[in-house]
Amino acid sequence: MPEFLEVAIDKFTFRVASDRLYTEEGVWAKMEANGVRVGLSDFLQQRSGDIAFVEVKPVGAHLKTDEEIATIETVKVNVSLGSPLAGRVAETNPLMRSAPEEINEDPYGEGWLAIIEASDWSTDQGRLLNPKAYLSAVKRLAGKEASEP
Amino acid sequence: MSKAKPKVVIVPCSGIGKPYGTVSREAAYIVTEELRPDQTQLVPLSLLVLGDAHARAAITENVAVTINGCKLACSTKMVQESGGTISEDVSVLDVFRQHRELKPLGIAVLNSEGLKLASVIGEDIARRVDELMADAADSSRPRKGASKHA
Repeated sequence: MPEFLEVAIDKFTFRVASDRLYTEEGVWAKMEANGVRVGLSDFLQQRSGDIAFVEVKPVGAHLKTDEEIATIETVKVNVSLGSPLAGRVAETNPLMRSAPEEINEDPYGEGWLAIIEASDWSTDQGRLLNPKAYLSAVKRLAGKEASEP
Repeated sequence: MSKAKPKVVIVPCSGIGKPYGTVSREAAYIVTEELRPDQTQLVPLSLLVLGDAHARAAITENVAVTINGCKLACSTKMVQESGGTISEDVSVLDVFRQHRELKPLGIAVLNSEGLKLASVIGEDIARRVDELMADAADSSRPRKGASKHA
């Protein structure tokens, strides 16, 4: 189980897992033995709403950094998610077809999207945000939205 | 005086300002006003929240079908807190997942897809109501060979 940083804004609490890196838009990347696992942050899933459908690029697809890795359709919006790294999709989460609500229920665990074989992880990880920096981004974005009428 | 005939109580979520909440209410109206008006009773969630005695009585004296527009499941939680028995817990989102073409949009006025989704849910619930009423009739019918006297 990862440890979390947390911030409470208005009636919401957002958690940031401290064992991975993040894009500004809220896609996380975690280096593991068999590749880099990616998924949505708690903030991004809460902001997007209950997820109805997820479509992840198929195994074997080659992605450039920021190229679309998945689309999610929620009760509020349709979101295109950019890949946090370049590489080949090595595995996708089968639960995304049968139980996409796992993203809402366990965004840092069972609700992962895919595992990518990185083509240049050392470069890509340098442009991602560490947990503290991403927490600051969450505070900024959530604070701005909370103050809007 | 004869005892009131049991009904199935339908409790949609409030979901004000959200299309899926509006779908839950439209589905409840379809069941209680069009499909099974004599077998069902609509109980507004707001009355349960306020602790209205008649609403609570309807919940405790009948089985309930709850309809929720989001995972907060307010109608389910409120019926449980009011001491009710839920025979069917319907999630609008789960039904939408089976009918992707019926994406509900609009809040005060649903789009045609949202209205169709509400109809699908309403028809599912009407079938469930029929089952519940048949079960109730079976359980109240004297068994063959049973005696009135012990």
